[in-house]
Amino acid sequence: MPALGPALRPNQWVSQRTYLTMAAIWAAAVFLLWFVMGGIFPNPPRVLEALGTLTAQQGLIAELLTSLTLFAESLAITAVLSMGLAYLSVVPAIRPVINALTRARFLSLVGLTFLFTLAFHGGHAFKVSLLVFGMSAFFLTSMVDIVASVPTEKLDHARTLRMSDWRVVWEVVILGQMGAAFDALRQNAAMGWMMLTMVEGISRSEGGIGAMLMDQNKHFNLAAIVAVQGVFLIAGFFQDAFLAWLKGVLVPHAALTTARR
Amino acid sequence: MSTQHTYERKDVLLDISGVTFARGGVPILRDVNAQIRDVVRPGAPQGQVVGLLGPSGVGKTTLFKILAGLTPPDSGTVKIGAQGVPAAPGLVGVVAQNYILFDHRSVLGNLVLAAKQAGMSGDAAKAAAMKYLERFGLQEHAEKFPIQLSGGQRQRVAIAQQLLCSEHYLVMDEPFSGLDVIQQENVQTFLQEVSAADEESTLIIVTHDVSAAVAVCDTIWLMGRERTPTGEIIPGARIVETIDLIERDLCWHADIRKRPGYHQLVDEIKERFHTL
Repeated sequence: MPALGPALRPNQWVSQRTYLTMAAIWAAAVFLLWFVMGGIFPNPPRVLEALGTLTAQQGLIAELLTSLTLFAESLAITAVLSMGLAYLSVVPAIRPVINALTRARFLSLVGLTFLFTLAFHGGHAFKVSLLVFGMSAFFLTSMVDIVASVPTEKLDHARTLRMSDWRVVWEVVILGQMGAAFDALRQNAAMGWMMLTMVEGISRSEGGIGAMLMDQNKHFNLAAIVAVQGVFLIAGFFQDAFLAWLKGVLVPHAALTTARR
Repeated sequence: MSTQHTYERKDVLLDISGVTFARGGVPILRDVNAQIRDVVRPGAPQGQVVGLLGPSGVGKTTLFKILAGLTPPDSGTVKIGAQGVPAAPGLVGVVAQNYILFDHRSVLGNLVLAAKQAGMSGDAAKAAAMKYLERFGLQEHAEKFPIQLSGGQRQRVAIAQQLLCSEHYLVMDEPFSGLDVIQQENVQTFLQEVSAADEESTLIIVTHDVSAAVAVCDTIWLMGRERTPTGEIIPGARIVETIDLIERDLCWHADIRKRPGYHQLVDEIKERFHTL
């Protein structure tokens, strides 16, 4: 058992082993609480049983793949669109437009369904457009802040190396801030999972795990709801781990600045 | 005063003429005039090291940016080299106080990029970068990211990067800040080596550290605001005094800090700060 003393004090570095030990303790505590908790909340055996039923009888795997495809496509479009627009905010003439677009995060997706139905033909295109809109509004806001946070000294440094204005943008704003951009993408991708249920609930063509969750909700099938939420959690965990891995590969220097693990 | 060194001050390498600058209507710089001439010593290349000293907030950083071509003056000119080319970004290297580098590139990547920006092809850029790594004792750190370097190593990479692009002219902001006595001496020795590497090498050091500046420079510019005969401060700073350290025989001596004249001058400048 590793020494846990530093793990109980703020801003201490702990070894990977200590960190995993702490994680295991917390996981055990949560499972124990889950097992002993009575009342309406379903215990693990009931949830596992519901998961088996959803998989065998209601096509959980196929629905999950449908949702993952929809989500991956939407996330890719969101990333390209939002990052492109945010990088354009370095041009003063375009900045007011970009800043106005960030305010779209206050709009409701439900209020846009009619407009998007008219604009995009087919359930898939409609759902992609809604998800892209929802995620882009938040991701764009984060990215605009990241672009604006570049210190003048860094821009000047690039200029002293005879870089053109656009080369400065590439080197300092795009490459230099790639680590922060990945972090923002991870956060907004996680928020996208919350929107997925709403979007798949609004348009049920193609089905999807979000539609499945809403069906279980309608029938008060609590064990199945927890099972689907568990699937969301696992899918989100793997997505997050993939983006973290991608960041480590593409922006290796960013990990060197992390003080805590 | 006399000097035991034989030297001449020849061509003008940097000419600041009538520079003024105001921010929000408040004069920061007023009619700044100064020149750096090529110091020529027989038998060996000798660069120039000029210290720009003055109290905090007097406008040193503004002048620093104007010299680097990053900020255009409201009026006046800064001309670089014997040909008198107007200052523009890239002509004068800039080493900021926090030694800014491209954190997403390796040390070698930072230097190769600078060499390419100076117009070198891929192979030539890499060869030039490797030469600087060797010259500055950084070969073993070539593949590291800047975040993995110590402050001193980072400073050397920043200097190498700027020299690869701008070749001879370098403005440094507080290069002695936050260093202990030993580190400070190492940086002074290093700067003198950089200066002596080429006849045209010209370092302008912006600093508060009077002792370090007198130990490493051949010329000191004192920057401050002048006063009216009745004692009122005239807005806008100028270079109010130029001190020739070679003439005072306080330059190019390994034991500079042991010389009585050194301490006398340091005290003199510190005293002068009260009226700048």
